[in-house]
Amino acid sequence: MTLNNSLREMSAMIELETRRLRHDRTEIYTRAVQPVMWLAVYGTVMSHVRDIPTNGIPYIDYITPGVLLQSTIFVSVFYGLTIVWERDTGILKRLLVAPASRYATLIGRAVASGVRGVVQALIIFPVAILLGVKFIPNPLYTIAAFLMLFMVAGGFAALSMFVASFMKTRERFMGIVQAMIMPLFFASNALYPINIMPPFLQSIAFINPLTYAVDAMRSLMISGNVASIPADFVAIFIFDILIFTLASISFRKIIE
Amino acid sequence: MVLAIDIKQITKIFDNKVKALDGVELEVNAADVFALLGPNGSGKTTLMRILTTQFRPTSGNAYNFGIDLIRNDAEVRKMIGYVPQETSVWADITGFENLLIYSKIYGVPSGSRKKIISDALQSMGLEEPANDLVRKYSGGMVRRLEIACALMVKPKILFLDEPTLGLDPSARKAVWENLTIFKKEYGTTIFFNTHYMDEADHYSDKIAIIMKGKIVKCGTANDLKQSLRSEALQFGLNCNALDKTALTKIRALDFVRDVLFHDSELMVVIENERADTALPKVMEVLMMRGIQIERIAMARPTLDDVFLKYAGPITKIPECCHQIRGCGRQIRMCGHNDVKKN
Repeated sequence: MTLNNSLREMSAMIELETRRLRHDRTEIYTRAVQPVMWLAVYGTVMSHVRDIPTNGIPYIDYITPGVLLQSTIFVSVFYGLTIVWERDTGILKRLLVAPASRYATLIGRAVASGVRGVVQALIIFPVAILLGVKFIPNPLYTIAAFLMLFMVAGGFAALSMFVASFMKTRERFMGIVQAMIMPLFFASNALYPINIMPPFLQSIAFINPLTYAVDAMRSLMISGNVASIPADFVAIFIFDILIFTLASISFRKIIE
Repeated sequence: MVLAIDIKQITKIFDNKVKALDGVELEVNAADVFALLGPNGSGKTTLMRILTTQFRPTSGNAYNFGIDLIRNDAEVRKMIGYVPQETSVWADITGFENLLIYSKIYGVPSGSRKKIISDALQSMGLEEPANDLVRKYSGGMVRRLEIACALMVKPKILFLDEPTLGLDPSARKAVWENLTIFKKEYGTTIFFNTHYMDEADHYSDKIAIIMKGKIVKCGTANDLKQSLRSEALQFGLNCNALDKTALTKIRALDFVRDVLFHDSELMVVIENERADTALPKVMEVLMMRGIQIERIAMARPTLDDVFLKYAGPITKIPECCHQIRGCGRQIRMCGHNDVKKN
């Protein structure tokens, strides 16, 4: 019964998010501009440097999984802003008075953000193909890669809501999230391999969930070297469980 | 009979220092419309948020239809509807979609969803704009949509936090007319906070006034008004002077608190008696003395007066009514409320 309620709540949240997307697709397109620039401009320029050891993979191909993840995770990381906004209006109060568990509300929102992330990545994906990125033509691998993207996007949305439950105003929230974004992206293997980083950054990259997600997606989409895939999925799974739990516990705080 | 809402000694202290509620006791009968009045910051919203299980009281207890809302909050959430003060619908989807999402959250079975949603839209007069984005709605339409979302699941108690705040008079009227029809049909108990006295006066069965976290007065609108004991009668006489005996005789009536005469206007302030039953007795005295009456007016306190008396700034009944000149407006002021003028 309770599980049923929770699933119902989650699916309602996912439906809400997809309906919102349907009414306003502009956001999805405009958000696709930046990642496409990363590939087309940064990728093209940097591919001429040839100093970054990519194991023989063309540089644009090398960074594509990272850029796909970056574009979705940045959406997720700011998802908490929706919650801050819903807190300022009465929506959150109302949801918390509905007969659904508060965990389900939070997890539903996080999952919904994951769905949004996948849609976002699906817009960039064909553009990458047009730019000449050679993906492994294995649909199973592609599906697994998008599953990884979905899991990590949901996790970061939960992280974002966790932050939102402490930083209850837009300004404070934006401040802290802006500060999180740079190390998140640059202290990961999204743009270059970890072993060329200084040791300090390496240790950050080691605990950065994005590193594992990039590794999995790069293996599944570009390199085909799937040996570390199970470990990557386990790492992200643990990250999700941990952050969903923490965010669920602190979610109550946001309305107080 | 089980009370719809039964509040026992609820106290809420925020951050160990701000005492928002201080031993609130309140009983609301089933199927009543109950208005909670109070100035800003008096604890109205805090009380409503406790009653809707958003947070727990520091101490005390409360029951909705006998269900303990602290220990059994999940059960309580199944039978209440709630419309917060702030906008609580998603503006970037349509009105219909808002109802659809809420119907799913509340677990309305998919078979009856369509019917329930269209009934809700109809009962709030929103069929026409149902497929427009809520962003394009007017304030009154948004409010009606919010109420439709809450009514859709036929709650046993509906909590409305300042339901008509910021609406124009016709939108307010539309909201209340729709609510009244719904309430008649389903016997829903409605508990609302408001600043609008006329709303409480017209639509509620019972009113409580909250001040600094305490219920200072509770009763029907009439009870509250009578509790002021400041009804007054005003006579326009055909003479500029009144003989002393008449004045003394009127003063001697046991329900008369004060008598003023100025410029052919006679004002009689009444206590412990209703103005309409006091009137014949005063008239009798006047007629016995052969005084001709040209016109009569009765001044009864409004709910505004009640509010100002119990929840307003310092209000004292001035002793020296004699200094006040004139007409009906001032009759009310003489009841209380005009220290400054003296």
